[in-house]
Amino acid sequence: MTPVHFTFSTTFILGLMGLALHRTHLLSALLCLEGMMLSLYVALSLWTLQLDSINLSPSPMLLLAFSACEASAGLALLVATSRTHGSDQMKALNILQC
Amino acid sequence: MHSPLLMTTTLLIIFALLINPLLLTFTPSPLPNRWHSTSVKNSVKMAFFTSLIPLFLFLDKGTETIITTWSWMNLMTFDISISLKFDLYSITFIPVALYVTWSILEFASWYMHSDPYINRFFKYLLMFLIAMIVLVTANNMFQLFIGWEGVGIMSFLLIGWWYARADANTAALQAVLYNRIGDIGLILAMAWIAMNLNSWEITQVFTLASNQDLTLPLVGLILAATGKSAQFGLHPWLPSAMEGPTPVSALLHSSTMVVAGIFLLIRLNPLMEQNPLTQTLCLCLGALTTLFTALCALTQNDIKKIVAFSTSSQLGLMMVTLGLNQPQLAFLHICTHAFFKAMLFLCSGSIIHALNDEQDIRKMGGMHQLTPFTSSSLTLGSLALTGTPFLAGFFSKDAIIESLNTSYLNAWALVLTLVATSLTAIYSLRLTFFVTMGHPRFNPLSPINENNPMVINPIKRLAWGSMAAGLLITSNILPIKLPVMTMPTPIKLAAIIVTIIGLLIALELALITSKQHTALPKRSPYLFSNMLGFFPTIIHRLPTKLSMILGQNIATQTVDLAWLEKVGPKASTLLNLPLITTTSNAQKGAIKTFLMFFTLTIMLTLPSLL
Repeated sequence: MTPVHFTFSTTFILGLMGLALHRTHLLSALLCLEGMMLSLYVALSLWTLQLDSINLSPSPMLLLAFSACEASAGLALLVATSRTHGSDQMKALNILQC
Repeated sequence: MHSPLLMTTTLLIIFALLINPLLLTFTPSPLPNRWHSTSVKNSVKMAFFTSLIPLFLFLDKGTETIITTWSWMNLMTFDISISLKFDLYSITFIPVALYVTWSILEFASWYMHSDPYINRFFKYLLMFLIAMIVLVTANNMFQLFIGWEGVGIMSFLLIGWWYARADANTAALQAVLYNRIGDIGLILAMAWIAMNLNSWEITQVFTLASNQDLTLPLVGLILAATGKSAQFGLHPWLPSAMEGPTPVSALLHSSTMVVAGIFLLIRLNPLMEQNPLTQTLCLCLGALTTLFTALCALTQNDIKKIVAFSTSSQLGLMMVTLGLNQPQLAFLHICTHAFFKAMLFLCSGSIIHALNDEQDIRKMGGMHQLTPFTSSSLTLGSLALTGTPFLAGFFSKDAIIESLNTSYLNAWALVLTLVATSLTAIYSLRLTFFVTMGHPRFNPLSPINENNPMVINPIKRLAWGSMAAGLLITSNILPIKLPVMTMPTPIKLAAIIVTIIGLLIALELALITSKQHTALPKRSPYLFSNMLGFFPTIIHRLPTKLSMILGQNIATQTVDLAWLEKVGPKASTLLNLPLITTTSNAQKGAIKTFLMFFTLTIMLTLPSLL
């Protein structure tokens, strides 16, 4: 595996771990999600250089746009949670009831 | 004169005479007031006189008869019919039993006259007598078993006559339970005989059993005799049976019922002749019984209990005789013993009633001046019991001890029997001393009189019997086995010497009861004797307590609780709860768990994708 490949793979996995194994705040989960998006952007950007193909050149821009939408959705969820639960602590969140 | 016909007719007339009063009780009209003395006593009296005819026919010509009447059931090759056997044993026993019963019934009319259910009492006594005669004349084991159970049931009903008394109920139950253990032995013997010899007819059993190993049925029969005749191990019911009225004690538990076990062994003696193991068993069991019960009789304070233990001791002596292979001597002792033991009981009853129901000999005394006839008969009965020469007991008891001394058998049994003979003299002297001699130790307010002929005549008749019966029976019945006639003089006089030694010791001890000989008494031998060797105390409490503890610990606590808590309902709870707790801990709906599982899955599947 090339060092670049290794870098963004590691970033992605670290971000995934951070998303899943966080402790207290929902916000840190969302931040990790953003980190994952960033590593995916880097990966897509390097696609053209590594594979010498210009087929999917606009894809990083698309990913960035969608990641912004998704981040705003996440933030909206954060605001909604803090409105209903009064905090954004993870332990207040329960799948079985809202 | 056609003697077989005469014999069978008179024997069947005896049965008819005895059953006749019972048939009257099935009519709906109430019995007349004096039914007990007019009907029952007279029928027994007439049956006695009728039974003398077969007795004289037998003595003159030696006729024995077997009457087989009704074929009861047939199971392929196994037949059971009603079959009555009148041989030496039954022809001699029936007149003796009827004579004793006649006297006892007459006495009971006086003793129980204030009892409102006296008619029922006499009915029970008559039913008992019929059952006993069925037992004695049985020619097959089935009929014997019917008689056996019949006397057991009537004993239960009669011991518990005063059923409002808790002790009487306990004693009756004790009698039934101990007899039941003996019945196991009898049924064992009957089953073995039915399986191996295919018949219950006694003559057929004797013919077929010559070459077989008969240890098992004989041990069963000895167990039956141990239960019914109160040998050691199953003996406590006999002194407890004194809770019944005195006529019951006189009839059942001295003369008639308790000899049923010995009679069974006498009847089936040909089976025992070839089996030295069972003979030794009888010998040792009888010797142990006679000594142990004589020891217990030494310190009893209830007059009836002393006589009851005396009966038990004599039964042990009869068992010893059977162990010596001398059934005829045992039978002789049964007949003579009936007379003087019944008389002893009747005299006790007369004294008890005279002293206003006082049964403790420590509260009697001086009865010789107050009831001379009764105390004289008491003395006569005691002398006959100890084997005073030429009274009734001498002929049987002395013959038994002579044959014991001249046989090549167990010396230990011999020693025990001789010691028991001297103890017999000791407790008889104690009884007579405390009851008849000395000064009265009771309140002088009870109406002491013995003027009623209903008391005097029975005791008089039995006194004549105690004096003459031994001589009459031995001079008329030829011995089947040859007795040893020559022996050294000390051996010949052994019984008398031992009895006189016992009498002298007892007299000496009795005379120092009113002086303080030692500062403090020795308690342990006295306690052993007075508490009956602690046998009832231990056996009636320990096994039952252990069984109940076993039941509680094993049945309830171990088995039931184990089923409930470890195997059944509660176990499923126990096993499921940890699983439920663990699962629901993981399924609380927390996002953290959810996401963690998500990563775990990704981590696990990612290498396979790469």
